[in-house]
Amino acid sequence: MKTLLLRLLLVTLAAGAQAAEITGRVTLPKTRTAPVVNKRYEVVSKGGVVATNPPLAVVYLEGSFPAPATPPAATMSQKDLTFVPLLLPVQVGTRVEFPNLDDTYHDVFSYSPAKRFDLGRYRAEERPVPSQVFDVPGLVTLRCDIHEHMRGLILVLATPYFTVTDADGRFRLTGLPAGKYLLKAWIDSRTTREQPVELTEGGALTVDLP
Amino acid sequence: MNGATRLAWALLALAATARGQEDILDRLDERLTASSASGLVRARLSGTLDVEAYAFQQPAPGLIVAAGTALFNPRLTAFLDVQLGPRVYVFLQGRVDRGFDPTDGGTEGRLDEYALRLTPWDDGRLNLQVGKFATVVGSWVRRHGTWENPFITAPLPYENLTGMWDIAAVRSTATLLRWSHVRPKNFAGEQFADSRFRLPVIWGPSYATGASVAGDLGRWTYAAEVKNGSLSSRPEYWGPDEVHWSHPTFSGRMGYRPDERWDVGISASAGSYLVPAAAPTMAPGHDLDDYREVVVASDVSFSWHFWQFWAEAFVARFAIPLVGDAQTTAWYAEAKYKVTPQFFAAIRWNQQVFGKEIDGMGDPVRWGYNTWRLDLAPTYRITPHTQLKLQYSVQPDDLGGRDYQQTVAGQFTVRF
Repeated sequence: MKTLLLRLLLVTLAAGAQAAEITGRVTLPKTRTAPVVNKRYEVVSKGGVVATNPPLAVVYLEGSFPAPATPPAATMSQKDLTFVPLLLPVQVGTRVEFPNLDDTYHDVFSYSPAKRFDLGRYRAEERPVPSQVFDVPGLVTLRCDIHEHMRGLILVLATPYFTVTDADGRFRLTGLPAGKYLLKAWIDSRTTREQPVELTEGGALTVDLP
Repeated sequence: MNGATRLAWALLALAATARGQEDILDRLDERLTASSASGLVRARLSGTLDVEAYAFQQPAPGLIVAAGTALFNPRLTAFLDVQLGPRVYVFLQGRVDRGFDPTDGGTEGRLDEYALRLTPWDDGRLNLQVGKFATVVGSWVRRHGTWENPFITAPLPYENLTGMWDIAAVRSTATLLRWSHVRPKNFAGEQFADSRFRLPVIWGPSYATGASVAGDLGRWTYAAEVKNGSLSSRPEYWGPDEVHWSHPTFSGRMGYRPDERWDVGISASAGSYLVPAAAPTMAPGHDLDDYREVVVASDVSFSWHFWQFWAEAFVARFAIPLVGDAQTTAWYAEAKYKVTPQFFAAIRWNQQVFGKEIDGMGDPVRWGYNTWRLDLAPTYRITPHTQLKLQYSVQPDDLGGRDYQQTVAGQFTVRF
């Protein structure tokens, strides 16, 4: 058993040492308008400025990869009447927790074909934190049944190799295996850019997706 | 098949095709939001398109004014929300429909609400608002929109017509009993010609004109308003050019939220329920302020996971010089449960009891029919922007010659 574990560790270290990486830039659409909060019948209202919602892209390597040994976990919070992060890429099989960090109720739901659910209303201190397993690839649009301006996105991918760009569209994908793949940039529900790439062990590529 | 039915079927067909196409209305939502370059000024146009149909028995229930036993009632509601920095908020509500409440009249357009709100501090301790907007009394206002309301009709206290009029003063108990149709019991299968004059305890969301101050003090909230119409006043008298600036109505609510689940409140309101046109009918030596509607109300709501509960109780007293006070108590309890992410069901029990007046023979007699109403309503959210709601209501029939009066209603809504 010890020998087996040692071999696994060596293989992992070797793979890490020889992993490829891709850096580049995705051309993003212009900045979206920040939402307007409907406060008509909330007699008492606080603040009023919701964070802007800059367009971001998810860059990922499409190929045939084994399923993870243990289900990955991720978090999509509700904070200041906004989903944080606004865009969350996850691998198929990931369990996503939805902690409520506001002092008011939210009711997170999705009618997207990739995942249909409704978490109901739960208090911030309730445990366990409500969660869902995302086991079908696709785009899941999150909404709140109480705050109509709230929108969040979970992109469920059949790959463990993905990252979110910064607001300028820059990205860096590391720890990639050698081989021929398709590099894709998901920009919105209608726009995905792609480019074939060939990765060598320890190699580094620069790929822009205009 | 008439035009209205064709339209209803067409919208249902649209709903069927809309399933899975939520992206289209999301994109429309983005296009209807505008912002200044700095993001300091932002505006959003949104709304609902409702197609309602009612089948009922005469006399038409609640605030429905129609001669037949069926009514088709389409409605387009548009909202404009404008945020100017963190301190200033403006909203407008415009509607195109067949009347503020369901009627068989022609199509009309109105600006139902417009208000300017100032919030000087970030913590919401003070909000100042002027304009024409919903009352601060009670808790139903927050969910009276067609998308948020689990039912198609309002709770009983918000729509059950009493025998009190606003265009003429009651001068005797006999008059009050006649206007209430208690004596004589004179329904002959026709709609009541006087239903446009009769008043409920509180008329729907009561979008009267005025100013309010409201705030959030930790777990406590407060709100007070001065308006140009009483809670029972009709929509025709809610505008800024309408009556009662010299006889304003004062209302307020104190709320307490021990945690996210609970919201408890008490409300009160006082103001003249008569309009100036009623002056010639008032008792000698009295003015509008002597004909006051005083309302004390309490509300409680609880929500947790897939359950939501609401309850409100109103005690209303209409002052009638020379006759005495006419009192009525109305309440309801409502529950909603989300059965699946897209399907929820709601049940509501409503009740109203009337006090007694002394008639000409010296006998006490109730000035209205004690009543109850059971409402059941399932709703299916087809997409995040479309829903189909049904409602069945039953209540005792005191005037129509039947044991019970039944109403069936359907409402298809597109939210954008």
